Amino acid sequence: MFSLFRKFLEQLTGKHPPLRPPGAIPEKEFEKKCIRCRKCVEVCPYDSIEVAHGEWGIKMGTPIIYAREIPCYLCMKCPPVCPSNALLPITQKEEVKMGLAVINEVTCLPFNGVICRACYERCPIYRKAITLRDEIYPVVYEEYCTGCGICENVCLTNPSSIVVNSKHFTNIMKIGENE
Amino acid sequence: MLKFLYEHLHKLRRAVQILVVLVFIAVPILNDMGITIIFGTLYSISIGNLDIVDPALTLQNILMVKELPVVMLLGALIPLAVALLLGRVFCGWACPYNLIAEYGDKLRRKLRPKSVKKQNRNPKNPIYWIVFGIIFLVLMITGLPLVTYFSLPGLITAQMADLLFLGTVGIEILLVLVILLLEVFLSPRFWCRFVCPVGATLALARSGRTMRVNFDAEKCTCAPAEFPCNKACPIDLNPRKAGIYPYCFNCGECVDTCRSFGKALTFTMQPLEERNINLNHRVRELERS
Repeated sequence: MFSLFRKFLEQLTGKHPPLRPPGAIPEKEFEKKCIRCRKCVEVCPYDSIEVAHGEWGIKMGTPIIYAREIPCYLCMKCPPVCPSNALLPITQKEEVKMGLAVINEVTCLPFNGVICRACYERCPIYRKAITLRDEIYPVVYEEYCTGCGICENVCLTNPSSIVVNSKHFTNIMKIGENE
Repeated sequence: MLKFLYEHLHKLRRAVQILVVLVFIAVPILNDMGITIIFGTLYSISIGNLDIVDPALTLQNILMVKELPVVMLLGALIPLAVALLLGRVFCGWACPYNLIAEYGDKLRRKLRPKSVKKQNRNPKNPIYWIVFGIIFLVLMITGLPLVTYFSLPGLITAQMADLLFLGTVGIEILLVLVILLLEVFLSPRFWCRFVCPVGATLALARSGRTMRVNFDAEKCTCAPAEFPCNKACPIDLNPRKAGIYPYCFNCGECVDTCRSFGKALTFTMQPLEERNINLNHRVRELERS
């Protein structure tokens, strides 16, 4: 019960930033700027964008992408329709920086002796964002990774061995790791 | 044309209200099918390349983010221009919450007949602006996007879109229910009369030449015995007295009712003249005697 409440509070204060549609501004500003108009949700041809509900606290009504269910296919239809500039009107998929994919080498199949190229072959920034070290092990390159979540969606293991976190989230993680 | 409008005010208004609801049922369904000529909600809607934005949200973003959102400013121009010309017709003719609340109010009048007054009193003006100021002050201090949740037309259409497009409904919809219950059982139509930041923002765009309900005391046949116009008003105003603005949203129910009596109530774009104010005084004297 208490942990649930703390989780709710964490989400209320924005410690758990979700994956946002392409072009999203930093989380703290996004909460304020997004007017919850659902235009990006309605314009998405893949139904990738979901709406945050009550469990997200102050973020409710904002667009969220659950990459494991439906990732962003970088069609770039949603950034220009945002009226409040919570999504900056970018047009090139290479400019997208929604998040960063992180590989869990404990469960990832190639690290366990099974050949698998699911994420490598489906990555829209092909052979740039994910490359194969020694032709076997997938490696994510931060400067090219858009955070679209296609890799997380196609990963064969359950739960996914490659997870896309919001850019903001990974920054917090890194600070935590350094300490 | 004008005569036709006058003769069918009530029916026309209901038709427009229901049409708006139907449009916001059709929009998510069409979007789901891949047709995105119209998309969005009453928070912000795009028709082709034309963006229309709730002006209260534009104000919220200006005050909270402290920068000028160009698209939102341009998008707010159309609603503000309509409000400047015709008054708060959005509330009376399009807002889906008002449609619900009007039926809620009919229920209130049946359940609590004692709460129906023979003659309504127009609220004091500053309350409206004090509540408006508090809402924007709180959101500036806390950074909570209050207007987003207090904009019931947007909230209702957004939830309708969520339900039809994604198949989910958020807990925000409970806010509508709570407000409706409070209106039915506690304070009749308090939301539209005192709180709604959308209505208040639209009320800001009011000039002397904005369309208003005019009362011609010389034509009034039913006062002081009966007040059918008072009964007809969905937000319990008294159109025979001064001070119905900024509360009145020009729904025209009183005008429609008065047509079967003396036709003393009419819509006009003419500014309020001294003569009418004097007439109001005379009516008050007549009532007293």
